[in-house]
Amino acid sequence: MKRDYTKLKCIILSILVGLLLLAAVFADHIVPYDPYAQDLEHALLPPGGAHLLGTDRYGRDMLSRVIMGGQTTIFSSLLLVLIIMTVGTMIGVFCGYNGGKTDTVLMRISDVFLAFPGMVFAIAVAGVTGGGIINAVVALACISWPKYARIARSQVMAMKEAPFIAAARLSGSGTWKIIRKHMLPNIAGPVLVTGVLDIGTMMMEIAGLSFLGLGAVPPIAEWGSMMSSGRSMLQTSPWVILAPGFAIFFTVMLFNLLGDTVRDVMDPRRNKRQKRKGD
Amino acid sequence: MRKKRLFHKKAGAVLLPLCLAAGLLSGCGGGSTDTKTEDNASAGEKVFYYGDTTFNAENDESDVNPHNGYSGWACIRYGIGETLFKYSDKMELEPWLAAEYEMTDENTWKITLRDNVTFSSGRRLDAQAAKECLDDLVSVHERAKGDLKIKEISADGQILTITTEEPVPALINYLSDPYGCIVDMEAGVSEDGNVAGTGPYIATEVKTDTGLTLVKNENYWDGEPKLDTIHVKTISDGDTMTMAMQSGELDAAYGLPYASLPLFAEKPYTISSVETSRSFFGQMNYDTPALQDEKVRKAIAMSIDKENFTKTLLDGNGTAAEGPFPANFAFGDDTVTAPKYNPEEARKLLEEAGWKDSDGDGYVDKNGENLTIRWVTYPSRQELPLLAESVQATMKEVGIKVDVNCSADFQSFLDKGEWDIYAGAFVCAPTGDPEYFFTTHCLDESSKNRGGYHSDKLQALEEEMKSAFDTEKRAELATQMTQTILDDNAFIFASHLKMSIVSGEGVTGLEAHPCDYYEITVDLDKN
Amino acid sequence: MKKYIVKRLLQLIPILIGITLLSFILMQASAMDAVDVMEQNTGGAMSEAEKAAAREELGLDKPLPEQYVVWLKGVLTGDMGKSFVSGQPVFTTFVSKLPATIALAVTSLLLTVLISIPCGILSAVKQNRFWDYLIRFLSFIGNSLPNFFVSLLLIYFFSLKLGWFPVMGNARGWKSIILPTFTLALAMAAKYTRQVRATVLEELNKEYVQGARARGVRENRILYFSVLKASMLTIVTLLALSIGSLLGGTAIVESIFMWDGVGKMAVDAITMRDYPVIQAYVIWMAVIYVLVNLVTDIIYCCLDPRIRMGQEEAGG
Repeated sequence: MKRDYTKLKCIILSILVGLLLLAAVFADHIVPYDPYAQDLEHALLPPGGAHLLGTDRYGRDMLSRVIMGGQTTIFSSLLLVLIIMTVGTMIGVFCGYNGGKTDTVLMRISDVFLAFPGMVFAIAVAGVTGGGIINAVVALACISWPKYARIARSQVMAMKEAPFIAAARLSGSGTWKIIRKHMLPNIAGPVLVTGVLDIGTMMMEIAGLSFLGLGAVPPIAEWGSMMSSGRSMLQTSPWVILAPGFAIFFTVMLFNLLGDTVRDVMDPRRNKRQKRKGD
Repeated sequence: MRKKRLFHKKAGAVLLPLCLAAGLLSGCGGGSTDTKTEDNASAGEKVFYYGDTTFNAENDESDVNPHNGYSGWACIRYGIGETLFKYSDKMELEPWLAAEYEMTDENTWKITLRDNVTFSSGRRLDAQAAKECLDDLVSVHERAKGDLKIKEISADGQILTITTEEPVPALINYLSDPYGCIVDMEAGVSEDGNVAGTGPYIATEVKTDTGLTLVKNENYWDGEPKLDTIHVKTISDGDTMTMAMQSGELDAAYGLPYASLPLFAEKPYTISSVETSRSFFGQMNYDTPALQDEKVRKAIAMSIDKENFTKTLLDGNGTAAEGPFPANFAFGDDTVTAPKYNPEEARKLLEEAGWKDSDGDGYVDKNGENLTIRWVTYPSRQELPLLAESVQATMKEVGIKVDVNCSADFQSFLDKGEWDIYAGAFVCAPTGDPEYFFTTHCLDESSKNRGGYHSDKLQALEEEMKSAFDTEKRAELATQMTQTILDDNAFIFASHLKMSIVSGEGVTGLEAHPCDYYEITVDLDKN
Repeated sequence: MKKYIVKRLLQLIPILIGITLLSFILMQASAMDAVDVMEQNTGGAMSEAEKAAAREELGLDKPLPEQYVVWLKGVLTGDMGKSFVSGQPVFTTFVSKLPATIALAVTSLLLTVLISIPCGILSAVKQNRFWDYLIRFLSFIGNSLPNFFVSLLLIYFFSLKLGWFPVMGNARGWKSIILPTFTLALAMAAKYTRQVRATVLEELNKEYVQGARARGVRENRILYFSVLKASMLTIVTLLALSIGSLLGGTAIVESIFMWDGVGKMAVDAITMRDYPVIQAYVIWMAVIYVLVNLVTDIIYCCLDPRIRMGQEEAGG
């Protein structure tokens, strides 16, 4: 029973996330107004009427900006997670499979990156390269890949000596084929779970950098920078800051919930335990 | 069982470094001691908290030494130093540390100092002290040196005689610039940039980017300062400052975001506002081929919606500008005209100049390249990013693409020539005299003529201005000069700043002054 | 034992070299060098000859590896150059602002412990019942709120509406640390409540607990005397490791609350492109982080021979 329930939850959450992604992909088409069109005559209108979420100080429609901002925020975090997942896994597999000097060197390098507290390094990189959402993504990618390399490496090392790999090798499979056919499918699980769990965190870090003015730059609609520029209106026109604020909150929560549920589904150990508990 | 005990020990072991770290670190946390003294200052002592956005290195106000960059502004704003002359509310010159002056010939000025003034170091102010200060000023401060053109200063009792290299009609005005604060050079400048001035308050602690602490000058020459201690807090974040003001942590604040001013419209708060000659304007880069075309410059000037910018984005805290000087000056906006906001006309001008949207991407192009303007500006003046974003939208309507680069590091982009229009804020007539703006921005040799603008007509007018002593004549010349740069569309003036200071409950004597640098005076009080 | 500590210390060397090298390269990648910035700050134009002379004086004309060695010597002796903006020695400024940040980090860590341990245990013990759901729900919310949003909301309610705490940090005594502490602790507590819950649950399912139950030991006794003790180790280790994210997270919170620590210093330095200050911040934060991890590891290992052996194997 329990397990079915988790699966159901997973499906519902996937649908919700799917809808969110669709909205982000088709943001250009579903926005009611041009999110960049200013109309100073209608600045800071409260929510309701023609503008469901009101307008900001430039008279831009908040709803359109939140939708458009979703595109920027969600896509950049997905891109970021995709980059660190691919790069990290590739390096991890390479190190784990080959071992030797390259392994030692690459792992020491990853130690160095791991030694930097995440935001500290991101702030420094963004500070040196200047603002811009791409720079923020690069900065966060620099410090986030070692985690995936570690996971992939330990999995590959554990698998390397496993009988089924030896069998594959005996049957004449090349290195590449072994990695592709036998190892990657086995690593994919833990890596994916970590990835999904990371989306929410990365989203908040990107927004945080933008909030500090080190990520997306105005007028680009991005939730963090929208909040940053709306700060002074928290008391006079709260919708300007609450709309992107709650957008981040709900999106991050949705991705976190999905990550948790995916982990529960993919982690058989946990399921067994839960079942036992349920008895 | 053995396993369990082990775990127990280990838990303690891991807690240990944590506690160790905690103890070690909180031991270092000496930062809290000075905060306590602030709290204790209660028994009858009047302590005042003043929030300000400008006292920081970004504004070139890293300390209170008037001979260092723009730090003189901090020196005079916070009542530490005073100048020989000062401006009235109507921007007329009045004596301050000087009692009177006399011009003996075009190049010689005889200034008589008050004889009841002492520095906070205890030294009495005499002509010798003033001479030492001004000598040091012109030897280390480029801008002052260029303004004053001092050849020689001689001191005799209370009489200071200044000889200039050439006629400097605005000498008295220049001496009233914040860099002209008279400080005791014998006491010198401390390591943190503190000085001994003559003002109602004495700085005891100067911390760049953080703030300063002022105490009452018991021996002030012009009445008794009413507050015992003033804490000036540098709060670069306008929103934090707003809330600190609301929660009563600050007694008064300068530089609040416009969006929060309505929060202080009612009692117990009072807002003191005044029009200033601080103007927000864009400067064209003549090195950009597209901007060398007169029609393009005019089209750009016509695609900036100044009215709506000031009305909506600045919440009415400012006036749409024509030229550099607001209308309350004799040579102000009423006497000149600039192109009005007119997107239709702007589009037509661009077309005449050969810029058409041939690829249908919404931006006009010529030879396959879009008309793109690199708009460089900086964030420490809250109006500038707003202006940039508003311009970006209105110019897009016309078909001009604007890439905004808003960075505290704007100078490096200017240096590298990576800009087309630079938008900044500048106090165009800090001394009430118009010549300053032109000499700093518009002439061939001007240090801030960043775009390489040149006009024969303007150069000729400046030659006349240089030696014109009559105020009316100067005003008339200024009008002609302003009109010249406006006709060339070398500069686009967006708005003039309305400066506001918000005072909290019981605060009196804090008035916004048109020249933007008299804030804390002997009159400031809190009940 | 000694062998292990020596080994760990030796392992530290390449990491520290890596940290400094990376920071050095990062700053080299920035567009301007110290001389360009000097030119800018003095406002006057310098001739190319003057610039070259200044570069020679600062050793900027030397090849990069040599510059790095010279610079590293400076770092080791506490000489990290002067701020481009204020002209003050960077290291002194950093050291003077560090206590404020550390004070904030320590209070946040303590508050995190105070919130997450009781909540996590309660949640685990009452698994799948009302309290569990409530706590998990709240921790989810806490985990999904960006800390800048939390700070703004906290300021709005507690400073403006209720007037309990000051808005600005470092201003009026101990009260000013409360809101920034809460901001930082909320997100961390949300995360650790979940981890505490998971750890305690795992422990509850171990055989010795089942055994104790079977022997009729009371639930409370099992919980407090066995399970908690066993879980503590993992939990506290996790907390020690969280110092890294805490150190980074202070930057945003410090800027919002005007808390005069190194985080705010770094953010201010970035807007001014004050590279030496940014560099000092990155290096020292990384070093502090590495050292905290090292101390945790060593003491942890002192008392658990099993881990020591395991690590030695893995390390070798």
